[in-house]
Amino acid sequence: MDSIISTFHIDWKIITAQMVNFGVVFVVLYIFALKPLNKLMTERSEKIAKGVGDAKKSAEMLKATSLEYDEVLAKARIEANKIFQEGQKEAEIKKASMLENAKTEVATMIASGKKTLENEKTKMVEEAKTEIVNLTMLATEKLISSKQDLNNL
Amino acid sequence: MAIEQATTGTGGELAHEITLFAEPIFHYKDFTITNALFTSWFAVAIIIVISLVLRSKLRVIPGKIQNLFEIIVESALGLCDQVTNSRALSLRIFPIAISVFFFILLNNWLGILPLGGFGIIETGDHGMAFIPYLRGGTADINTTIALAVMAVIGANIFGVFSIGLWKTFNKYVNLKVLGGIFTKVRHEPTIIIVAPITFFVGLIEIVGEFAKIASLSFRLFGNVFAGEVLLVSMAALVAYIIPIPFLFLELLVGIIQALIFSILLVVYFTIGATDHEEHEEILVEKVV
Repeated sequence: MDSIISTFHIDWKIITAQMVNFGVVFVVLYIFALKPLNKLMTERSEKIAKGVGDAKKSAEMLKATSLEYDEVLAKARIEANKIFQEGQKEAEIKKASMLENAKTEVATMIASGKKTLENEKTKMVEEAKTEIVNLTMLATEKLISSKQDLNNL
Repeated sequence: MAIEQATTGTGGELAHEITLFAEPIFHYKDFTITNALFTSWFAVAIIIVISLVLRSKLRVIPGKIQNLFEIIVESALGLCDQVTNSRALSLRIFPIAISVFFFILLNNWLGILPLGGFGIIETGDHGMAFIPYLRGGTADINTTIALAVMAVIGANIFGVFSIGLWKTFNKYVNLKVLGGIFTKVRHEPTIIIVAPITFFVGLIEIVGEFAKIASLSFRLFGNVFAGEVLLVSMAALVAYIIPIPFLFLELLVGIIQALIFSILLVVYFTIGATDHEEHEEILVEKVV
């Protein structure tokens, strides 16, 4: 052991000094380089992880929204189609009913016209009859009066 | 013990002895300041400056320096995770491991800086000798022993905080298994043989901790010192161009050795924070 110590000049003072040297290196590196660097890298990693997470979330939300949009659009289309068809049906019913009403009205109007025409005709015949009677009476009167005049002569 | 690189000066022969130990360059009272210790201070100063610069330039949107450090930290944490299998545990061990890595790396690299010309001339055992101011901090066994001792003791302290004092103590002095002889002997008669063996294995673990210190310190020292010897030898043989590939090789060795030490530290800390039963499973996995 002594020969090793003397050959290599092993000196506990220098060993201690080198331990102190390493201690200084460790403390300085840890405080000024490793700790802040590690902190910064961890923060950055967290930020990146958060960014990636947010991006994933956004993509998922976009996907969900897109699906929802498609679903709503499909529903709206079906509903619009349904409303359109119902409207069409209703319009047809209304059209038919209106047509029916119009027909009825026309028939009523024709009937009423016919009746008025009939009344008018009857009235005219009546009036003609009355006129004929009056004329006949007038003519008769005139004949009689002229016969009387002749007689008087 | 010394390899000599001789250069001819005006007043005679000036030798640069490569010694196994760091050479003293200053004395402060009874404390000897070696060139390896001086290099370590230089490394500490560089790390302090880089840390302060990095701190002042920290932004949410990173600049060039911050980007580089973030890449290093992320990669190192990933490597740590492969050993610990737990991000939470990695985050606790990581600051020590990365500090060790940078400290060793800078000490390794400063040793091969082409600033060997700065130094002092002293009268050595073989006449006038040149002593450079910079010698790789890890090319001194004192530095590597300091780091290894801190790693092993740190791992055990970490174990105490992670799994508790009693469990850590039982890894070495397994009183639990000895006590189990009396409680489990009826159901498992084999425990009479197994328990003393397990207890003895625990005692061997104590020796193992010292072996860890020796292996960690001598591996790092050996590699870095061998690299310096190689560079000086190559420079002595051929002064120009030829040593350049070896310089790059040593840069690579510097990174590899720093990495090996740091990973072993993470392994020891992970074992320290693991229960004895799990610890054995992990060791088997590492071997496989």
